[in-house]
Amino acid sequence: MTKPPAITTAEKKTATGSEALLDINSIGISFGGLKAVQNFSLQLPAAGLFGLIGPNGAGKTTIFNLLTGVYEPDSGEIHLASRRLFNCRPHEITAAGIARTFQNIRLFPDLSVLDNVRLAGQLHNRHGLLSTLLRTRGYRFEEHLLQERAFNLLEIFDLQDRAHELASNLSYGHQRKLEIVRALATNPQVLLLDEPAAGLNPQEKKLLALSIQQIRDRFQVAVLLIEHDMPLVMEICEQIIVLDHGMTICRGTPREVQNDERVIAAYLGSGLSDG
Amino acid sequence: MTRTPDSRRNNGSASHAEVTASASDSQSGFVGNTLMGLMPFAVGIVLASLLHFVLPHVIPGRAGPYYSRIVTDIGIAIIMAVSLNIVNGMTGQFSIGHAGFMTLGGYMAAFMSYYGSMYLWGSAETHGGFLGTGELLFVMSCISGGLLAAGAGYVVGLPSLRLRGDYLAIVTLGFGEIIRVILQQTGKVIDNAQALKTGGLSQMIPPPVGGALGFDDVPKYTNLFWVYTILTVTLVVAYRLKRSGLGRAMISVREDEIAAQAMGVNIARQKVLAFVIAAFFAGVAGGLFAHERGVILSPKDAGFQRSFDYVIMTVLGGRGSITGVMLAAGLLTALPEFLREFEQYRLIVYALLLIIMMLVRPQGLLGIHEIWDLWPRRRSTSLPSSTVATSATSSPEAR
Amino acid sequence: MATVHYFPDPLFPPMSDFVQTLITALAIGSLYALIALGYTMVYGILKFINFAHSDIVVLGAWLSYTLAVRILPSLGLDPHNPATVPPFWVAAVVMLAAMVFCGVIGFAIERLAYRRLRRAPRLNVLITAIGVSLLLQNIGQLDFVFGASPQKMPALLPSWELASITFGEGESARRVVLGLIDVVIFSLATTLMLLMQYLVFHTKLGVAMRAVSFNTDNAALMGIPVDRVVSFTFVLGSVLAAAAGFLYVTKYPSMNQPAHAVWVLLGLKAFVAAVIGGIGNVRGAVLGGFVIAFVEQFGAFYISSNYRDVYVFALLIVILLVKPSGLLGSPVREKV
Repeated sequence: MTKPPAITTAEKKTATGSEALLDINSIGISFGGLKAVQNFSLQLPAAGLFGLIGPNGAGKTTIFNLLTGVYEPDSGEIHLASRRLFNCRPHEITAAGIARTFQNIRLFPDLSVLDNVRLAGQLHNRHGLLSTLLRTRGYRFEEHLLQERAFNLLEIFDLQDRAHELASNLSYGHQRKLEIVRALATNPQVLLLDEPAAGLNPQEKKLLALSIQQIRDRFQVAVLLIEHDMPLVMEICEQIIVLDHGMTICRGTPREVQNDERVIAAYLGSGLSDG
Repeated sequence: MTRTPDSRRNNGSASHAEVTASASDSQSGFVGNTLMGLMPFAVGIVLASLLHFVLPHVIPGRAGPYYSRIVTDIGIAIIMAVSLNIVNGMTGQFSIGHAGFMTLGGYMAAFMSYYGSMYLWGSAETHGGFLGTGELLFVMSCISGGLLAAGAGYVVGLPSLRLRGDYLAIVTLGFGEIIRVILQQTGKVIDNAQALKTGGLSQMIPPPVGGALGFDDVPKYTNLFWVYTILTVTLVVAYRLKRSGLGRAMISVREDEIAAQAMGVNIARQKVLAFVIAAFFAGVAGGLFAHERGVILSPKDAGFQRSFDYVIMTVLGGRGSITGVMLAAGLLTALPEFLREFEQYRLIVYALLLIIMMLVRPQGLLGIHEIWDLWPRRRSTSLPSSTVATSATSSPEAR
Repeated sequence: MATVHYFPDPLFPPMSDFVQTLITALAIGSLYALIALGYTMVYGILKFINFAHSDIVVLGAWLSYTLAVRILPSLGLDPHNPATVPPFWVAAVVMLAAMVFCGVIGFAIERLAYRRLRRAPRLNVLITAIGVSLLLQNIGQLDFVFGASPQKMPALLPSWELASITFGEGESARRVVLGLIDVVIFSLATTLMLLMQYLVFHTKLGVAMRAVSFNTDNAALMGIPVDRVVSFTFVLGSVLAAAAGFLYVTKYPSMNQPAHAVWVLLGLKAFVAAVIGGIGNVRGAVLGGFVIAFVEQFGAFYISSNYRDVYVFALLIVILLVKPSGLLGSPVREKV
């Protein structure tokens, strides 16, 4: 993480060109006899903002788990910036540029807010055991840089005053926010948000919608969003993919999806329009 | 130091420039900083030599050796408990075979110093005075004991890639017992320098380290200076580790493995690293123990009973609290010495302590804190937090 | 190697030795299986290793001893003379008494220590279990309890030879004996295991146990008295452990003091058996028990008896690396 982020962004642009940044080609996985995800495909362009919706148990989070290496797909391929992600362990995928948040918040409760962010930011650090123990100049420089970056991020999200508190002491809304900050600290090209609005009040949801768009613009990341809050999804997503029972039943712009009969059937008519 | 958090690109380059500036600041003090890095070691060595030379005079007469033995034991126990805490407290794994590493290192060290002395000086007596050639051999032996134990730590840590905590506990327990069984099968100690020199390599298989009877007659080099010097190294390493990126990564493994992976932490590497570091210091402590006056190294030492002692110290002290564990190790080593008539009840009390602790205060005496965290913080105006906070509040575009 | 082999070719030892080792392995294997059941049931339900389980075995063994040396003199028999054998009912009474007492202790341990920790992190429960284990061991070592010196278990079963086969002729003839004790151990243990099997898979209580094991919270919502089921599991495991302790000392009458490493190793091997079979799986524990005993006994015989404990752990590590869920276990995915 020693090189300035500007260069990384430039690289992103050239690497992607016209084709999709994240190219998912008919991946699938089954647990026992249950086909949790079948033939899922998605082309996410650089700085795209796509939504992934569907009833509970449709396989949305499973797709995130497949993308982040928690599960290995039974079939299909995943390419990130034309590089195939194959047989990668989760930390390698994060290093390759896909970061995620969790549906049920998974912060490190006994680490400070700052340390949560620093931990995520340090994944490209090169200094090993010996320089750590001797506190060499290079090591201290790296830690200093890391701290700067972490504070910058916390500042952007207005969490800097909480930097030295334990993550477990934050309010629920702040914890959700910190999850996003932490994922951004890994300097991702693709950000996977798993129900970031869950449990937030309407006011916070409005702010969240705004900040997801800002994140996309400011950090030049592609965002894939799982969310049950339909107004939020419809408002900010460019493209929406609807899943049911592991199958993609519909994809298109918010307007197209809203008027699709299969989608309405999948939700049993339960309020796509009124959320 | 005023910055406006504009776009991320600007932020990045701004902080970059600033860091370069601060780096050149530190360049002028480069020598000073390097010395600061080594400072704690120097302080520790001075304290250790003070202890070494002063303690025998403070407690005069026949009680002197007795008390310096207790102080030595405390030092070794702290090395063991603090190193175990890197695995159990920081990384959240659960090793109950720490005495196995200790004994393995102890045997290795004893083997080297005993046969080294035999070979070089024809007898296994201590050789040379304070910081003399004999002590040099002794320190080298302890370090090689540590290295062998670290190798074993690597092997034991490997299954942790596949196993959850409680299974791993069984593997480490099994490891200690296997070390015990294997050490029992070793050969008789060769006590004749002539025979050693003429005997050739074949007499080294199986290693002549005494079998079930134990390894007697190891030169008694261990003294307060070396114990507390090595203790200093252990403490500095543990503390710097805890405060570093590596330590954060270890703690993240303890807190939530799945989230840690998602943040780019190679959890397998962190676990193995924790095991290797902890085993190294246990091995060195084993070397100190093997050369201590009044100790006969025996395979029994590798067994689970001794390992449990160290587990109890880490549990009582607190998850990852270095000072808490030091306190617990010191108390639990010193107290039984003064309560000798209740020896029968010692382990019963320990067991009750463990259970009650888990029921009442599972995080240990100090929890995740260090002892100085108990007092209110003085340095509320430390550098980065305050500067960033003010610059952020003054900027209109904070969000 | 320290064992003296009297046959020329270690790869083709006489049939007699093979048969003798087989008999021992079956007897010991059934004991391991009996103990492993206790580990596996508790793990299946509460998902933690009940470290103190091996100490219940020790308790069962030492209780048997204590009872035997009290009962025998009252019958006019000398407990320290191996030639005097009491009537069969003495063995039965001793074993049943040990089982009842251990059942009570098992109940008490769960009630006083583990129950409060049901929602605590697994590591805390494990540490508590280690504490309970240390407590039992060291209370047992007190002078007014069992004492800290080894003892010899009086013979409660006659040393009958039920069958014997002679292999070879003349000088090289070797006799293999099937003793009463081996048969009793094997048949008693098998009976208990079959009862267990019936209980878990064919009774209402068994259904409740499996439901709690599957999901404690949901089971409670379905009206299953979780606390009672957990208590029952502990009692059941402890009763089996006591039986195993009794049978163990009838087979090997030289008893070590309660905190001796031998006992811990016995418990450890039984735990390894449970893991190898697939922890939480009742049939797996039985299978694992026999696998462990065969590896240990045949390893001790064909390679070297000095390293018998090493084989077991080597097998454990191999199994854990190849199939971490055990032979009969099903892999578990952690929910993300």
